[in-house]
Amino acid sequence: MGLDYAAVKKEVRKRMTSETIVSLIRILVFPGAMFLFALAFFYEWVDRKFFARLQNRYGPLHTGPHGILQPLADFLKLLSKEDITPHASDRLVFALAPVFYLALPLTTLFVIPVLDPTSFIAFEGDLVFVLFAFTLIIITVFLAGWSSINRFGTIGSMRAVLQMLGYEIPMGLVAFGPAIAANSLSISRIVGWQSLNFWLILLQPLGFAIFTVCLLAELQFVPFDIPEAETEIVAGWRTEFSGRKLALLRLGKDLELVLASALIASLYLGGPQQFWLIPPIVAFLVKTTFAVMLLSLLRAVFARFRIDQMLSGLWKYLLPLATLQIILIQAGLGG
Amino acid sequence: MSHGSIIKVPFGPQHPALKEPENFLFEVDGEIVVDVKPRLGYNHRGIEKAFELRTYIQNIYLAERICGICSDAHTTCYTQAIEELLNVELPPRARYIRVIIAELERIHSHALWVGIAAHEIGFDTLFMYVWRDRETVLDLFEMISGNRIHYAMNTIGGVRRDIHAAMVPKIIKGLDFLEERLKYYLRIVQTEQTILKRTVGVGILKPKDAVNLCAVGPTLRASGIKNDVRSDDPYAAYDEIPFNVITHSGCDILSRTLVRCEEMLESIKIIRYALDSMPEGIIRVQVPKKVPQGEVVSRVEAPRGELIHYAKSNGTTKPERYKVRSPTLANIPALCKMLLGGYVADIPIVLAGIDPCFACMDRMAFVDIKQNKKWVWTMQQLRRKYAKE
Amino acid sequence: MALIKEALKQLFQKPATLKYPYEKLTVPKDFRGRPIWDMKKCIGCGLCSNVCPSGAIEMIGKGLEAEINHYVDRCMFCGQCAEICPENAIRMSEEYELADFDRSKMLHEYKKDS
Repeated sequence: MGLDYAAVKKEVRKRMTSETIVSLIRILVFPGAMFLFALAFFYEWVDRKFFARLQNRYGPLHTGPHGILQPLADFLKLLSKEDITPHASDRLVFALAPVFYLALPLTTLFVIPVLDPTSFIAFEGDLVFVLFAFTLIIITVFLAGWSSINRFGTIGSMRAVLQMLGYEIPMGLVAFGPAIAANSLSISRIVGWQSLNFWLILLQPLGFAIFTVCLLAELQFVPFDIPEAETEIVAGWRTEFSGRKLALLRLGKDLELVLASALIASLYLGGPQQFWLIPPIVAFLVKTTFAVMLLSLLRAVFARFRIDQMLSGLWKYLLPLATLQIILIQAGLGG
Repeated sequence: MSHGSIIKVPFGPQHPALKEPENFLFEVDGEIVVDVKPRLGYNHRGIEKAFELRTYIQNIYLAERICGICSDAHTTCYTQAIEELLNVELPPRARYIRVIIAELERIHSHALWVGIAAHEIGFDTLFMYVWRDRETVLDLFEMISGNRIHYAMNTIGGVRRDIHAAMVPKIIKGLDFLEERLKYYLRIVQTEQTILKRTVGVGILKPKDAVNLCAVGPTLRASGIKNDVRSDDPYAAYDEIPFNVITHSGCDILSRTLVRCEEMLESIKIIRYALDSMPEGIIRVQVPKKVPQGEVVSRVEAPRGELIHYAKSNGTTKPERYKVRSPTLANIPALCKMLLGGYVADIPIVLAGIDPCFACMDRMAFVDIKQNKKWVWTMQQLRRKYAKE
Repeated sequence: MALIKEALKQLFQKPATLKYPYEKLTVPKDFRGRPIWDMKKCIGCGLCSNVCPSGAIEMIGKGLEAEINHYVDRCMFCGQCAEICPENAIRMSEEYELADFDRSKMLHEYKKDS
């Protein structure tokens, strides 16, 4: 056996390194963390600017062209601010909660296809993983509010969990609508199915509406900003966070917005799809920007619900509607 | 959602729902308010004492600064009191100008309230729109009086500035714009489901309680009781102007909103009528500096309700004693009644529902419950007390 | 949902916000800004300083030789001084950007020769 083990080893190592470097770049830079952070800041700007224009205001104006760097400036300013840990707080949880809150949406975003119809990490059942991550985010929120031992924080975190009980089941139900249609629990396959057939928003408009409402609740946007209702409980579960921790929480919130809009885009709008000469990434960006604008429009035209009204409303109307959507799909409509 | 334990939740003195410092301690069982203890006095500025140290002319501007929003109501009340002491008859044109300014102020104060109420229930877009359109009134004020908030229009014996013929078309134009917008907002308030969800049946104040707890102004009128100083005890030119007293019988926040929205529309009608039928003539009469000895109580319907000023003069150029009873103070017991049994989430909107103006309200008086004694510190006593410490 | 039409309409309108330090509104004709003394007309009667509710006007000396110090930081722009002046020597100007970090810069001195 005249195999040159040293040469094989060298070859393997060489290939491994280049592959490792490529995947490292993909994880850390594009379309991984750095790209997602940039996207998070960009969508915060889109949200703020669009929301302001709906209210006949300018929104961010002076930092960068049309204030596009304002979210980044806010982030950097918060990083430099004093970080206060309340004396009575559960220090470990209090310090870890913002990190988790940032890491969870970031990790989850890797299963969503961005560059091309197949995501960076794709496996059968990643849709369930995304829904699970949404639950984990709320549990982090609960821990963040609870560990700060503040009256407003406690009330806010309790409200967050109560709210989750309301929207999680309808959201889970309708999210399986696209999965049934594409006959797969993988988001990449759902995207692929849509590029061969129709966009699912055309087939399941009811599911799209319910999913958007549930995402509003998940993102704690008006009318469901109950856990951080400013005029009622100051900043809710975020009351005691300051400085670096608050910066992480804000970035985490922005990433959650990216995740929500990316989910809308991939489940209902066809995700990153090649149109003629337009590359998939552009299609993805256009669709997610549309989703962000839709969410900001909705948060502009409502008053805040009370927690009991919100819960009973979701259980009374949204859950039956979500069930109806699934029945419709099973009956052969919209699948 | 009750979990058996009662949490004490402080509201204020610093809280996003309260624009001014005041403290309310709520006892909360889950999301239900079971007890509320108001603690007033954070905004005490010693204004009544300051009245005694200034001349009658200077006090006009001091009275104006009791409150930034209803500044005209306070000066009207003050000048009315002093005019009664002096036994001065106002020129007819001045009385009409006072009505116009008072009603413009009512529009701007109520519009401000609608915006704040929208903000309290998380409806920031409506808040932005209402406040944007409220600027129209402020611009009119700037044109008429030279300032947006502190108009300084009233003086003892009349008003300081005339409303010229050139201003009238501009005012009419502004009113037309406002009328259209206000009707639109009235429709929004009545049709937007999320607003109705948060306002119907919230902060109930039954008519009987409203009377017993001495509620005033729109808070009282929203409980279906017709009570308005403008029609009950007319001052300025209100006896010559036809207008309706708006009441609603819903007893809740929605009724308070509707009362205020419709009062704004009524105010527009009053201003139009007053501009039409304003008599020509002088706008002020000269008055002596010294005010004869006497006591007087003057009442005005401020945007927030009945405002009472009391003055006692001793024949010099400065009042001997001055007392202000602002509508917010009269509404505090009714407010506590409204809050009991409500949700934590409803606290801000119920608090805002009486249109509180704590700067108006906070005065100083000492009450010793054990000895059943009430007294007021004089300046000398205060100096002596704090010199020791 | 009642507001959705109105909200979408705003997208095609110019925002109502004023970009304040860059854009300024003109003030109306009879605006009550910083009072300005015309010392040629002033006879030093002291009425303005006596009547001022906030004590913003200080008289130095008496009669025709009097000088006037006006503390803008105390002034509340009621215009009572301009109204009471027998010689119409005080004019309410259109200046309104009067804040400063240094209180001494907010003192305006009016001397007889100026």
